[in-house]
Amino acid sequence: MIKLCDRLIAEIRRHAEGTYPHECCGLLVGRIEDGGRTRLVFETYPVENTFEEGERHHRMSIEPLDYARAERLYAKRGLGVVGNYHSHPDHPAVPSQFDLEHLAPWPTMSYVVVSVPGGKAADIRSWELEADRSRFREEEVIQVVVDGSEFGEQERTSDGNQK
Amino acid sequence: MAVTVFIPTALRQFTGERAEIAVEARTVGEALDKVTGEHTELRRHLYGEQDKLRNFVNIYVNDEDIRATQRLETPVKEGDTISIVPAIAGGAATEEKVQGGSAVKTEAASLPTLSNEEIARYSRHLIMPEVGMEGQRRLKAARVLMIGTGGLGAPTGMYLAAAGVGTLGVVDFDVVDASNLQRQIVHGTKDVGRPKIESARDRLNDINPNVKIEAYETRLTSENALELFRDYDMVVDGTDNFPTRYLVNDACVLAGKPNVYGSIFRFEGQASVFWAAKGACYRCLYPEPPPVGLVPSCAEGGVLGVLPGIVGAIQANEAIKLILGGGEPLINRLLLFDAWKLRFRELKLRKDPACPVCGENPTIKGLIDYEEFCGLRPAPAQGAAADKTEETRQMEEITASELKQRLDRGDDLQIIDVREPNEYEIARIPGSKLIPLGQVVNRQDEIEQERETVVHCKGGVRSARAIEALTRSGFKGRLVNLKGGITAWSNDVDPGVPKY
Repeated sequence: MIKLCDRLIAEIRRHAEGTYPHECCGLLVGRIEDGGRTRLVFETYPVENTFEEGERHHRMSIEPLDYARAERLYAKRGLGVVGNYHSHPDHPAVPSQFDLEHLAPWPTMSYVVVSVPGGKAADIRSWELEADRSRFREEEVIQVVVDGSEFGEQERTSDGNQK
Repeated sequence: MAVTVFIPTALRQFTGERAEIAVEARTVGEALDKVTGEHTELRRHLYGEQDKLRNFVNIYVNDEDIRATQRLETPVKEGDTISIVPAIAGGAATEEKVQGGSAVKTEAASLPTLSNEEIARYSRHLIMPEVGMEGQRRLKAARVLMIGTGGLGAPTGMYLAAAGVGTLGVVDFDVVDASNLQRQIVHGTKDVGRPKIESARDRLNDINPNVKIEAYETRLTSENALELFRDYDMVVDGTDNFPTRYLVNDACVLAGKPNVYGSIFRFEGQASVFWAAKGACYRCLYPEPPPVGLVPSCAEGGVLGVLPGIVGAIQANEAIKLILGGGEPLINRLLLFDAWKLRFRELKLRKDPACPVCGENPTIKGLIDYEEFCGLRPAPAQGAAADKTEETRQMEEITASELKQRLDRGDDLQIIDVREPNEYEIARIPGSKLIPLGQVVNRQDEIEQERETVVHCKGGVRSARAIEALTRSGFKGRLVNLKGGITAWSNDVDPGVPKY
């Protein structure tokens, strides 16, 4: 399951609406608990969709160096990348065939998809891989209150968080 | 050299939560071997088949991608940091110049001649210089093998027959079902219940009696594929599943034949020409199959009936161009079609020098077990697989007939339907309550824990997942899976409930 607070859900929605009609993408920063079954998300880390121009309305690609940067940035707080999110403009929040074939299949991560029908973010759903990597399945999204003091609100939008 | 290997958060559970591991190594490969030697679970998340780095795993030495240097042989120096970073989504590829040339290797002089009837029939072809007499004779000499006479095979076969392809091999083992007729236009209402191969043969012969149909009423397997392919100039892939798709690809590469590929799902289609001698093969594009269950089949996910008509016609178009040896074939190009938005798009493909079947040092030199490769059959003696079987075994099940008996007896049962609302509109079991699979955990308050609950879907798979999810989330009530879903209910209890 994935646990995240209302603020992060609102951020993902806003990001998805902001890039409409293109797909947005980003990383989810937090901690993995419960032997890899639970992702506790503390921050979103929006990144630029680096898929080739002209295709971004239905494709996204996250630059590996952005991923590495996010890992390094949060490592000192004991946090790291625990999943990713992207939007489906005018499509349901269900992984497409392309997503399934190209999202990194590590079973400890969450794959959040938000649908953006007509520019307004709607469903947010999250998917995970089975431990044996045999298939994806929908995971539960739990909204929790995260204590902001854990890693200082003022550091939230530090360098690299927004390209 | 002492170097540091940085482990991504997602994989730290396999390194005892260590983010950085210091090792002594001379190359990147050696460093990774040392780390994964110490943390063996980590290895299978980084390395795939044949012990090669998985295609989505990027390795950086400091900020440099090792693909740009010497890959795993890249030397490291004291103090370097090696980072493991997943690629999310595919990368762009460079274009490669593709040469023409017919796939039919017959000298012009020895091509079959055309009768006056044929000249009249093909006149619209003959007056175009791109086809002409020689091209039409080449079509007549051509031998094309079609895998499947379903949604894609129907239009492909009909257009190839109409175009005058001399010999069409057709492989199918299925029987025409009423639910095929919405898209498989080579079959008609009168053919329901007949082997597809017979129905297709009749229709194709009716379109063009000059075409010789070679019918194989069999499943394409690793045992028969190479022998079947040998006698044909090219293969047209109209299959609907991953094991057969990989089988067709590998057999085409090994036999040196072009593979005219098409696939469809809901509103989206893809087409390409995979010809290892001239460009990328299917494995260069998709080295590994997607996880099982990720990509639903058309039976589960649905398909717009006209979509295979469009994609299959594109495959016929490409097959004809390969025979004529002209135009710009879809080699190293993946065509994407969205019927709902009516948009065509194209991705450039590149042959992967490391491709296990068509690369520089191929590791696949014969056909393998494709069901196992695609994860449809568990490899023997694996812990995870065994656990899953255990879990499945513990799930309580009920047949449709038993459920009917218990309901008639007045047993207190609640029936939860975990399908989607549009499926509920088509057919439902009386007294059932709809809570789609994706919402079932969040809406479990609506299920009375003290009552016995029968969970159902279309065929019994999603309901089993729903029961697993509910159980995992702490639902305490008794959950029973309806075996075979509403389809079994329609078959065994109430034929008045439509099947879809």
